[in-house]
Amino acid sequence: MLLLAAAFLVAFELLLYMVSPLISPKPLALPGAHVVVTGGSSGIGKCIAIECYKQGAFITLVARNEDKLLQAKKEIEKHSINDKQVVLCISVDVSQDYNQVENVIKQAQEKLGPVDMLVNCAGMSVAGKFEDLEVSTFERLMNLNYLGSVYPSRAVITTMKERRVGRIVFVSSQAGQLGLFGFTAYSSSKFALRGLAEALQMEVKPYNVYVTVAYPPDTDTPGFAEENKTKPLETRLISETTSICKPEQVAKQIVKDAIQGNFNSSVGSDGYMLSSLTCGMAPVTSITEGLQQVVTMGLFRTIALFYLGSFDSIIRRCMMQKARSETADKTA
Amino acid sequence: MLLLAAAFLVAFELLLYMVSPLISPKPLALPGAHVVVTGGSSGIGKCIAIECYKQGAFITLVARNEDKLLQAKKEIEKHSINDKQVVLCISVDVSQDYNQVENVIKQAQEKLGPVDMLVNCAGMSVAGKFEDLEVSTFERLMNLNYLGSVYPSRAVITTMKERRVGRIVFVSSQAGQLGLFGFTAYSSSKFALRGLAEALQMEVKPYNVYVTVAYPPDTDTPGFAEENKTKPLETRLISETTSICKPEQVAKQIVKDAIVVTMGLFRTIALFYLGSFDSIIRRCMMQKARSETADKTA
Repeated sequence: MLLLAAAFLVAFELLLYMVSPLISPKPLALPGAHVVVTGGSSGIGKCIAIECYKQGAFITLVARNEDKLLQAKKEIEKHSINDKQVVLCISVDVSQDYNQVENVIKQAQEKLGPVDMLVNCAGMSVAGKFEDLEVSTFERLMNLNYLGSVYPSRAVITTMKERRVGRIVFVSSQAGQLGLFGFTAYSSSKFALRGLAEALQMEVKPYNVYVTVAYPPDTDTPGFAEENKTKPLETRLISETTSICKPEQVAKQIVKDAIQGNFNSSVGSDGYMLSSLTCGMAPVTSITEGLQQVVTMGLFRTIALFYLGSFDSIIRRCMMQKARSETADKTA
Repeated sequence: MLLLAAAFLVAFELLLYMVSPLISPKPLALPGAHVVVTGGSSGIGKCIAIECYKQGAFITLVARNEDKLLQAKKEIEKHSINDKQVVLCISVDVSQDYNQVENVIKQAQEKLGPVDMLVNCAGMSVAGKFEDLEVSTFERLMNLNYLGSVYPSRAVITTMKERRVGRIVFVSSQAGQLGLFGFTAYSSSKFALRGLAEALQMEVKPYNVYVTVAYPPDTDTPGFAEENKTKPLETRLISETTSICKPEQVAKQIVKDAIVVTMGLFRTIALFYLGSFDSIIRRCMMQKARSETADKTA
């Protein structure tokens, strides 16, 4: 009896929160929309640009290397669905200087109109043990992954708030939901994006601007190949817990969630579980999402503790093997 | 019946995880321990230093301003419990250059021995709307709050791993657990500390080094007074949801924690809070719009 009353109360509270005044955001219409993608010349960024282009958007690609930009542009243009669509390329380092980035956005808006959706996909990943990573890596990753997302967002936010419409996407990572062995520098930068996104969403929600944080798993991209070059054994073994994804699949999910205005964007069942588990104080934009989080959290936390235990034993095994091989070398 | 089985299963899983191989860490003995506190000349850092000193630790205070350091040293020394205790002061900006920080740690270790516990408390807070904050603020906060914790931690980690003992404390914030209106720059820097801590803990656990992330609420310190200078109205109203703490209370808890199938319910409550924050913000927005139209027609 008491349980029934409690359940009713919970359902009523959720209904209240959801219905007034938060109704799910009206999906952003991509045909004719101006989408800016930083880091759009390769990997997930390029696939996101393709996905938006396929749905009729006008794209501005922002990256450093002009050749890669032109190549990406050619590839994207193959997917055009009408004659009017445009792919604009602008070369800049989004992490270097805010004024440069502001200029780039101005240029893009002069050519293709105000920005409807900004996808912050410029980023890199370096893995290694805390004491082995170069000190400059910590600075570099934070500059590119974090500041390189702050600058473009700041350049578009005022116009989005004035127009009362907009989407800002931050591409974080599953390593931005949990800190893993070898990712002290990378996880911090991706966690930072989440803090930025949560605070920003709270500020811009009354203006019908929605923020999405994407948490892709390991994805088959050139960036991932770079990461693998210095990845410690322990990190590799732990990462085998989730399977590697195709960037097209990741991009599809991100664009879908961004259009819908969903705050969390995750891929696959592992991604879903991790997002539910780590939702914390993140906002929701649908009743079902909130309900799912409430109901599944205890179970997912239990499963998570199991995972953590297995990660710890992987790490300890590697440590003991190293110790054994060192003693073997000494006696040999 | 099913509920009973489920409960038993959960209890069993938790027992398994807890017992093997993770036995709770042996508490760090503070008497005679060498504790380094960055940002130790004021606020929460100074109170943490006092708390550790009261329990017999040897303290190294690290901060920029030499006068504030000496004042803090005098205050801390009043709480000594024996003749041997020492408070060492070293002046440096922990966010500027790793090599400087590494040198400072070397100096401290030469005088007081290897570092047993490092408390990363150097930090600052600036509040303001995303488009109103100076661009340099984003850089400044990340440099001090994040890199200023990375550098000292990196300087002590190798020795801690070799000695198979250590504690590293990162002082984050409740704003490092949820992003709030006005804290785009600050929350990011405090969230970053959590990512760093989680990854670092996973790396150093087999070496008996433990990482603690502290999430203080609004605390009555000089740093908080600074934050209030530019704090937007919306942020202030939202912050009234939690009460302000005394730094002594926060410090006690942090030191304690450094030296251990309610979730669904909490998420429900959290959704309620989020809803109330949103309405505070919308109200302020409408009030601003109304006063702007009033100004125009006046």
